[in-house]
Amino acid sequence: MLDFFTIFSKGGLVLWCFQGVSDSCTGPVNALIRSVLLQERGGNNSFTHEALTLKYKLDNQFELVFVVGFQKILTLTYVDKLIDDVHRLFRDKYRTEIQQQSALSLLNGTFDFQNDFMRLLREAEESSKIRAPTTMKKFEDSEKAKKPVRSMIETRGEKPKEKAKNSKKKGAKKEGSDGPLATSKAVPTEKSGLPGGPENGIELSKEELIRRKREEFIQKHGRGMEKSSKSTKSDAPKEKGKKAPRVWELGGCTNREVLDYSTPTTNGTPEAALSEDINLIRGTGPGGQLQDLDCSSSDDEGAAQNSTKPSATKGTLGGMFGMLKGLVGSKSLSREDMESVLDKMRDHLIAKNVAADIAVQLCESVANKLEGKVMGTFSTVTSTVKQALQESLVQILQPQRRVDMLRDIMDAQRRQRPYVVTFCGVNGVGKSTNLAKISFWLLENGFSVLIAACDTFRAGAVEQLRTHTRRLSALHPPENHGGRTMVQLFEKGYGKDAAGIAMEAIAFARNQGFDVVLVDTAGRMQDNAPLMTALAKLITVNTPDLVLFVGEALVGNEAVDQLVKFNRALADHSMAQTPRLIDGIVLTKFDTIDDKVGAAISMTYITSKPIVFVGTGQTYCDLRSLNAKAVVAALMKA
Amino acid sequence: MASADSRRVGDGSGAGGTFQPYLDSLRQELQRTDPTLLSVVVAVFAVLLTLVFWKFIRSRRSSQRAVLLVGLCDSGKTLLFVRLLTGLYRDTQTSITDSSAVYRVNNNRGNSLTLIDLPGHESLRLQFLERFKSSARAVVFVVDSAAFQREVKDVAEFLYQVLIDSMGLKNIPSFLIACNKQDIAMAKSAKLIQQQLEKELNTLRVTRSAAPSTLDSSSTVPIQLGKKGKEFEFSQLPLKVEFLECSAKGGRGDAGSADIQDLEKWLAKIA
Repeated sequence: MLDFFTIFSKGGLVLWCFQGVSDSCTGPVNALIRSVLLQERGGNNSFTHEALTLKYKLDNQFELVFVVGFQKILTLTYVDKLIDDVHRLFRDKYRTEIQQQSALSLLNGTFDFQNDFMRLLREAEESSKIRAPTTMKKFEDSEKAKKPVRSMIETRGEKPKEKAKNSKKKGAKKEGSDGPLATSKAVPTEKSGLPGGPENGIELSKEELIRRKREEFIQKHGRGMEKSSKSTKSDAPKEKGKKAPRVWELGGCTNREVLDYSTPTTNGTPEAALSEDINLIRGTGPGGQLQDLDCSSSDDEGAAQNSTKPSATKGTLGGMFGMLKGLVGSKSLSREDMESVLDKMRDHLIAKNVAADIAVQLCESVANKLEGKVMGTFSTVTSTVKQALQESLVQILQPQRRVDMLRDIMDAQRRQRPYVVTFCGVNGVGKSTNLAKISFWLLENGFSVLIAACDTFRAGAVEQLRTHTRRLSALHPPENHGGRTMVQLFEKGYGKDAAGIAMEAIAFARNQGFDVVLVDTAGRMQDNAPLMTALAKLITVNTPDLVLFVGEALVGNEAVDQLVKFNRALADHSMAQTPRLIDGIVLTKFDTIDDKVGAAISMTYITSKPIVFVGTGQTYCDLRSLNAKAVVAALMKA
Repeated sequence: MASADSRRVGDGSGAGGTFQPYLDSLRQELQRTDPTLLSVVVAVFAVLLTLVFWKFIRSRRSSQRAVLLVGLCDSGKTLLFVRLLTGLYRDTQTSITDSSAVYRVNNNRGNSLTLIDLPGHESLRLQFLERFKSSARAVVFVVDSAAFQREVKDVAEFLYQVLIDSMGLKNIPSFLIACNKQDIAMAKSAKLIQQQLEKELNTLRVTRSAAPSTLDSSSTVPIQLGKKGKEFEFSQLPLKVEFLECSAKGGRGDAGSADIQDLEKWLAKIA
């Protein structure tokens, strides 16, 4: 039933492989590694790739990965258990080979696991078969059969009386059905119940009949005996004696003395209490001066030092031996250890403006990566988790091939067509400003730029771009560049179709020999369906070389929503097999946040595309590229 | 006079005598303490000293014994690693972490090197390079010769990064560009790859230095590769760059041996 089962080391060596079908398993497993493990989406342990579902398990202590693949349409219940069993057996059987640091032992070891695996697979399949269908409960076993029908009919007025009577009867009936020995008792209790019967007339007698018949039936099949006996015991104390009113703890009481909170004081004593309070309020610090702002990082270091001290004292004694041979009996991380640290880290990330979902997923993935890992001598849980989190954050911020615009423009120059860049984003993030900054940068590098004003909606959009063009051409006049206009604005006024203007602009650039076309679009909310359709149409029709999403660094959880919906809109309205999605992110208004740089993480995590530019101000020179280490350092700083 | 002299002599001997009891007492003290204890203390001290020195010297020497295998994803680094160490063929997956092992070079001296296979995936490669570059004695940059035409830009970009990082080190490692997968029919030759890389790096060094500066402007001026005015050539670099062809899979796939004799000879040379 399984398509394949692989065991491989994190360094890339396949230790053992079982292939149920003839297809090779490397393709799907590589896809699993690249999309899940390397993008820190390792929270849940299953992944779908084409027609296969892949489930995996990481062994962080010995750096192994266990992957099983089966057809998506099958729902196999025994897979999780199988992976756990295989993991345990493999680890125990080959402990010596996989324990060593060098890869030679892995290479030289033969992992003859086939028989064990087939045995485990057979056991797992059989166990799933045994458990399969459970028979339905018979009516007599259910709770409903025990209650007389009369009790379920609600009639006003007679309800409480009926209920009391029926509860008595219920208790009696249950006591009666204790066993074949007690059947004799059942008859007398029934008889005692009988006198109560004729009180209510004919209906009760019919009900009596039903109950009696039911009892006989139950006695014949001694099934529900144990159940009823148990319920008898619990019912008995309740049934005996009258019902005491239930006392709720927080429900309050109507006792007036308890509710009287006025303090029995005279005029003198309350003031004495007040003077004490003033002293407390004033505190022990200097009277009128303000305290200096404490640096919060010192608290963190103090805590870390306190936790390292006891381990350090333990460590120095053991450290001597540790130097000469490996550390014996070192601690391995479990989820409970990491729980509190991860919670703190998650809150810290959220405080740094990372979107909440993403912080949760990140911490889950880090927990998955660290579970079972063996810590070093002088490291605490906090430091290990922080280190792992830092590494995964750096990994997220360097997703793919860096977008090198200048290189690609040179390529396009050689092919004699312009390089088209489209800017999209929600309202007010800084598209036009950053477009001007990027065109300045391109001009400085000697490329000629055509700015296409496809924002035909907002008042003053075209004038804004015209002002920028004027200023830029003052900085780079045609005389300096051999009579060639380096920057020009292409606009067709307001109210026209943006996609059409973009197409004309690109044709114009090709005729006039411009190197780059920067297309400015109108800001739009991600929920605005017609506008998203219009944007998707612009991008599909004109096929720009680079689609840049402009997002501000101030955005918090909204970043996730914006990017997801933008990508979805672009994918939905594209006719092509592989739709054009967002290729890069421009992060603007970076100077407004001090170190709450979480938006960078949110955006790259959602799209797995790199941050191409960072805008740090409103002049032409305020354009930077991302430094992953600096951003992560700012993020992890307390 | 004589009495004064004798008295002086007596005084002198008395003065020496005042020291004398100290020396005597010291000698007696030393003799009284177990001579074995003293020798044990001295011996332990000597052993500790030699341990410290030995560790220091060994760490210094072993810090420069690593050979890094770097390259793009799917270029064949892990298989090359396996072939060099054992000569066998193994299935491999995308590496997530590094693997290291000691490799005995087959020359007369029988030196050993530490082969380190780094993952090639974009999100991991720079991190691991950072971690291991300081201990690198040589860097083997593995290139997939069959897919080279498609991946030229990525190869050049990563090579640029590795070169820049290596040139910033104190002990510049020796460089080898191994054009792997020569068993495939469409594989490019080493000469062609060298020419293409030189052309690509020529443009890349211009565009990279023109990129906007990073967020913290504390980064130094980027290192310039090669000479400014002239076309870029690998011979212009301060480090030695060699090219050779190899095939980790070998002519006959799983059964046969790999075609890595040139690589082994180069490793023997630099060991």
